[in-house]
Amino acid sequence: MEATVVPLPLPALPEGWEAENGFKAIGKITNERATQRTLEPVGPYFLAHARRARHKRTFSEDDR
Amino acid sequence: MGDSGPKAGLEPSERTAIGITFGNSNSSIAHVVDDKAEVIANEDGDRQIPTILSYVDGDEYYGQQAKNFLVRNPTNTVAYFRDFLGKEFKSIDPTHSHASAHPQEAGETVSFTVKDKEGEEAAPSTLSVSEVTTRYLRRLVNSASEYLGKKVTSAVITVPTNFNDKQKAALVAAAAAADLEVLQLISEPVAAVLAYDGRPQAKIEDKIIVVAELGGTRSDVAVVASRGGMYTILATVHDYEYGGVALDKVLMDHFAKEFMKKNAGAGDPRENARSLAKLRLEAESTKKALSLGTNASFSVESLIGGVDFASTINRLRYETIARTVFEGFNRLVESAVKKAGLDVLDVDEVILSGGTAHTPRIAANFRSIFPPSTRILAPSTYASAINPSELQARGAALQASLIQEYEAEDIDQSTHAAVTTVPHTTNAIGVIALGGDTAADEVFVPVVPPETAVPARRTVHLSAPGGGDVLVRVVEGNTHIKVTKPEPKAKENGDAKAAKAEDADEEDDSDFSEDEDEEEEEEEKREKVWKIGATLAEAGLKGVSKGAKVEVSITVNADLSVIVTAREVSGKGGVRGTLPSA
Ligand SMILES: Nc1ncnc2c1ncn2[C@@H]1O[C@H](COP(=O)(O)OP(=O)(O)OP(=O)(O)O)[C@@H](O)[C@H]1O
Ligand SMILES: [Mg+2]
Repeated sequence: MEATVVPLPLPALPEGWEAENGFKAIGKITNERATQRTLEPVGPYFLAHARRARHKRTFSEDDR
Repeated sequence: MGDSGPKAGLEPSERTAIGITFGNSNSSIAHVVDDKAEVIANEDGDRQIPTILSYVDGDEYYGQQAKNFLVRNPTNTVAYFRDFLGKEFKSIDPTHSHASAHPQEAGETVSFTVKDKEGEEAAPSTLSVSEVTTRYLRRLVNSASEYLGKKVTSAVITVPTNFNDKQKAALVAAAAAADLEVLQLISEPVAAVLAYDGRPQAKIEDKIIVVAELGGTRSDVAVVASRGGMYTILATVHDYEYGGVALDKVLMDHFAKEFMKKNAGAGDPRENARSLAKLRLEAESTKKALSLGTNASFSVESLIGGVDFASTINRLRYETIARTVFEGFNRLVESAVKKAGLDVLDVDEVILSGGTAHTPRIAANFRSIFPPSTRILAPSTYASAINPSELQARGAALQASLIQEYEAEDIDQSTHAAVTTVPHTTNAIGVIALGGDTAADEVFVPVVPPETAVPARRTVHLSAPGGGDVLVRVVEGNTHIKVTKPEPKAKENGDAKAAKAEDADEEDDSDFSEDEDEEEEEEEKREKVWKIGATLAEAGLKGVSKGAKVEVSITVNADLSVIVTAREVSGKGGVRGTLPSA
């Protein structure tokens, strides 16, 4: 998918904010649902997903 | 697919593939030319081909010709059989087959007895529903082959979302017996979504879509999360009471009563099989005419006892007498949204699909159920809507053209649960920007929406007008519905309501839904607002140029670990970090 343009500014970095390599990992994403959902195996984007999954490729490898 | 077990399959080079939609009422065939899906007209010129076979003097008729024989040759005409496929007699609803060959119990399956051979003496044949399906599909495939000038070998066929494995297997087997390779069975609502997304001008975006599949004998609604062009069905509801046939019935009753009023003593045309069949055919064409014009005629020669009947009806009148059925569609759609755990404000698009979806009143009603931001994709509400009767076949044709190059084994593997069943995000993942009322409030900018299948990657561009050092704070987000009650107004409100209730009883007041809408707006304002949740990560991007754009990309991996990158657009360097899996 193309990048979405959001016409809003980012906040300024607070005074004294420091982190190794400029990145702080703080949390993990919520995964409440024990059950997984099923994608409909239809359309070109699903086929691309299936190709990546079956060849264990990442998005960036796929881009190349 | 997958359910149907391993099958040899053709070499891709040997295939000519089409899309087929096979309904209880109508079927369609479609193919792709120059990347565009096109529905094929059969030799009668029909693109909606009635799913009916009829036998006369040993000749087999199908489609509209067979449908016309419902008047003169009902017992040798097989109609409304699709939903009997793969089912036992005790679990079918034979209602719609009253006026044609009756379904019978035949061991594990259902059959029909018809005279399909020539000659007075010839014994009737008992045909299983599978055999009927095979014969019907053969006719469809022949029409497509004739049109394309080469033998059609393969197809993608659409099925309702509640078709079970046994029904699917029966369909694949019936197709195989007609010499047709089923490349894949795909679900009807997803075919409709693909028909829209497959248009060359379509833009792929994250959206929640409600697909209302309104046919003849059934109505099915699905709520679909469309995420980067991939589709996940969140909820489905099915209804067998409200459909096109129910609308026909309304008109049949209307005109039967009018006929009896004008022709006292001629009898009730609904009590004679042949008169009833004539009444039904004409009611359906009057109904279709009312989708286009505001007036339609109804005319039957020798309706009963040799008496001709001609009348007219206007759309307003029709919408009034059919109101109960239309309200049934409204409730069905609302219940699907609720079942998905969503609000109408969450719905970006409503796709109206199926023959009954041509009806302007249905689209107008949906328009008033959903907020103005929801696109209602129907002929009367959306200029570039696709013909609702063609959506499924077009979607099937697009899918057929996508997969016909693959070996059957490849298709099976790609559609296997190991590939299709994946975790989906629970909450939205986004970044904090400044905005809101003061332009300096923290606001949530969704990047990866909820219900997104992983792995997924999304990218946004934000601004940094002042340049310098900026903070990219990655957080989870949730929506909730904010309800604002207006200032209490004078109590005339109550009086207006009482007046309205009286109005509603008046037969010709068909604008009831718009009125309701106004009333709601007076009552309260409902809006969807984002709530900022837990912080996941912070990235500090230093030395950004004045007026630059900052690109933030979030990738959620298959194990729910997250990669965040932030960089100045067309700048150097940037920050990259990873969150452990959930
Ligand atoms: N222009 C129209 N306006 C209103 N109703 C229409 C129009 N065209 C077709 N219909 C109705 O649509 C219904 C058929 O819908 P469709 O062609 O989608 O069939 P289907 O999916 O095979 O139906 P089902 O399986 O529910 O019986 C019929 O009741 C028909 O009268
Ligand atoms: Mg249908």
